[in-house]
Amino acid sequence: MSKLIMFYARECPHCKAMMPHVEKLENEENISFEKLEVWHNEKNADLMRSYRRAIAPKCGGQLRTPTFFNPETSDVLCGEVPYEKLKEWALKQK
Amino acid sequence: MKKFWRCFICSDIHYGVKPPEVCPTCLAKNAYVEVSSREAVKIMGAGGTTLTREEFRRAILAFAEKNEFEVNPDKAKVEMLLDGLFANEQNHGLKYCPCRLASGDLAEDLKLVCPCHFLIHETYKNKKDGECWCGLFVRRKK
Repeated sequence: MSKLIMFYARECPHCKAMMPHVEKLENEENISFEKLEVWHNEKNADLMRSYRRAIAPKCGGQLRTPTFFNPETSDVLCGEVPYEKLKEWALKQK
Repeated sequence: MKKFWRCFICSDIHYGVKPPEVCPTCLAKNAYVEVSSREAVKIMGAGGTTLTREEFRRAILAFAEKNEFEVNPDKAKVEMLLDGLFANEQNHGLKYCPCRLASGDLAEDLKLVCPCHFLIHETYKNKKDGECWCGLFVRRKK
């Protein structure tokens, strides 16, 4: 299983809305996300910026939160999405 | 390229490609002279003004009032976003959108300062229930 990252921001409502989906997915599908906060942690912010070339084209040309990212394949899922869409994306990474 | 301009009558500062023909503060005509960014920053900082959370809230309500959108009626969401905007101003200098990450290139990152130009974003444009990327502003229901 590839390492999956969830880039999120503490005060981002879309990220807050996605957290229960992420936790449900982790509990039900033996998937785990490394959750990295990017506005209050400069190291995490720099890491997200380092993936800009992979992330931005799939996120409207910007670095948006939440962003789900597979560093091995550079596969990206961007924004607040329904649980099923997140699940489909995450299972594809297995 | 945008430059800084100063009204020679009242020191109103304008940042733009060209100066206004009429100063919106003192109404003087043809009153603007180009100044350096250093001078402009000094003049703009002279008042030492700050914007409290309540003042910013009033500012965005007034901004939305004359437009086709409104501040999100979801009060909890608005408070969370205001937390983020003020944290970003405190930690990073400007009220950056809490739902996007600054690149480090100021010219590019100005597009992330709230309110951003969300009218052209895919989350708002041509959408009946459009909203800005973070959801602070939503299209007003008719």
